[in-house]
Amino acid sequence: MTDNLPLRPGDKVFRPRRIKHIHLKRVLGVPALFSAGYGDVGSSIYYALGIVALVALGATPIALAAAGVIYIFNALTYAEGGAMIPEAGGSASFARHGFNNFVGFIAGWALMLSYIATMAISAYTIPPYLSYFWTALDNPAVNTLVAMGIIGFLMTINVLGVRESTRINIFFIMVDIATQITIVVLGIVLILSVDPSILITNMFGAGNWPSTTNLIQGIAIAALCFTGVETVSQLAEETKKPAERIPQAYILMIIVVLLLFAGISIVALSAMTPQVLGDPINGWARDPVAGIAANLPSETLQNIFKPLVAILAASILFTATNAGLLGISRLTYNLSSHKQIPEVFGKIHPRFRTPYIAITIFCGIAIFLLIPGFTNPDFFSDLGALYVFGSLLCFAFAHASILRLRATQPDLPRPFRLGWNIKVANRQFPVTAILGVLTTFGVWMVIVIKQPFSRWAGTAWMFGGILVYMLFKLITYYKNKSDKLKF
Amino acid sequence: MFKKILVPVAGTDADIETIKLACRLAKKDKGKVWAVSVVTIKRALPLNAEIESEIKKAEEILDKVEDSASEEDCEIETDVLQAREVGPAIVDEAVERGMSLILMGIAYKQRFGQFSLGEAVPYVLKNSPCPVILFQQ
Repeated sequence: MTDNLPLRPGDKVFRPRRIKHIHLKRVLGVPALFSAGYGDVGSSIYYALGIVALVALGATPIALAAAGVIYIFNALTYAEGGAMIPEAGGSASFARHGFNNFVGFIAGWALMLSYIATMAISAYTIPPYLSYFWTALDNPAVNTLVAMGIIGFLMTINVLGVRESTRINIFFIMVDIATQITIVVLGIVLILSVDPSILITNMFGAGNWPSTTNLIQGIAIAALCFTGVETVSQLAEETKKPAERIPQAYILMIIVVLLLFAGISIVALSAMTPQVLGDPINGWARDPVAGIAANLPSETLQNIFKPLVAILAASILFTATNAGLLGISRLTYNLSSHKQIPEVFGKIHPRFRTPYIAITIFCGIAIFLLIPGFTNPDFFSDLGALYVFGSLLCFAFAHASILRLRATQPDLPRPFRLGWNIKVANRQFPVTAILGVLTTFGVWMVIVIKQPFSRWAGTAWMFGGILVYMLFKLITYYKNKSDKLKF
Repeated sequence: MFKKILVPVAGTDADIETIKLACRLAKKDKGKVWAVSVVTIKRALPLNAEIESEIKKAEEILDKVEDSASEEDCEIETDVLQAREVGPAIVDEAVERGMSLILMGIAYKQRFGQFSLGEAVPYVLKNSPCPVILFQQ
């Protein structure tokens, strides 16, 4: 019987209606988790580097390093949370367990915004990379139209429920990491070591170092590079031995991502000036890694790496767009099954067995977000800021939830328990989570203050969501004539 | 030799005969039969999504299988598994339960005009931790 199997932390056996058991088959291991997580975090270097350079200029590597520290706090908090609560929903689940349904909804709604922005920005940056093969794709209007087409295509195949191979994902990620390492090594050997003063000039030379305000804003925008930590947590429920493998995947991601991002940003600023790197029209802001390949000091190397980077970047960004779509549809189902949003969002197509309403609505919103791209080519930095707005908000909730669970449920099994704790009132609070909540919230405030687009669009999204939630709860209350109105 | 036999069932014509064969094999060694029906969940949904129609279908398949096993006076346990893919779910179940045999019933299927085993059967043949017998009616 399934009852005889020893249950691991987080294992669930559903017992619906009849006597049969539904037994969830968890088959994902560290390579699959890492490739999914890296696909999301690692893909952001293909667009974020340019957006950060647009603001932080020569201080781009510094901004990335500062954001990288926040990323470590986030990854560690998600490692504890994911191992402790291995269910789909990520920060929304942590917040639901840590606080209540309403806070869980707010975290989930912020996460939805970040998924929609991921889809839009990843899709938008595919055509500039592919413009190596067809230059017309670099035209802003064509770029936007193709990006909309990509989202439309992914919407269709996900409604139909086409299968995705984990093995192909792992293969692409491995090739991508190998290519990035090669670019970093070649850049260091052929550009940086030949004349290290170029990097110093490009970072600290006249007109290259940003103002303090821009540096702070650059650090805030650089958080864009590290927002994909949610992905691993979303896969927690289908991970074999989540208690061990989720923290392992996060630690591996921290090491690989930080090393590669440091290398790529240093090589980028060795190969070109920050102004060229951050120029969305005549420079490489929309396809910064292609800029590195195009500036390698050998025609043969350029001929090899330019098409290779184009194909790999397009494939990893395509995967990231799809990951955003899958993430939002799973999250929507999760929220609707916990009665945090109307059930209609989680409705499953009778034939294709996919949440077609959620997929269609959120793809429609992502396509709508791309409309300014027809006239304003650097609007994608606004999209980036919107992505950061949503992501940082849910990271702040994740940290706060982990801290609250330490206070309210200290004996909850924590297979991966964060170290470096401060003891308050006989409870232990991890320093990294405390720093995490402070830094993510601080950076989020910078985005709100400095970025008008994300301030208004993000705030409108959040308030719109809260309104939908309240209305939904009121309607449910009057429909069911419950004794107590519960938010 | 075959004390623990895993029989994945999918609602095909081969299910009943396969279960009967598994029961006969198990009886020889005073063994036991496990029948599993795998509900596949698309990646756009969380793995614990409950798709009522699919669960109902899986349970009906297992009910029929239980009836056939009781006709053979055979000890059988049934389980519904929810997974992303059928092949890895079967192999993982066999590993987890320490099965001594996987007995799979297959129906005659064609793909692009050629006989095809589908995707699950080759995966199980390649990755199974124990012997596998294919039974085609």
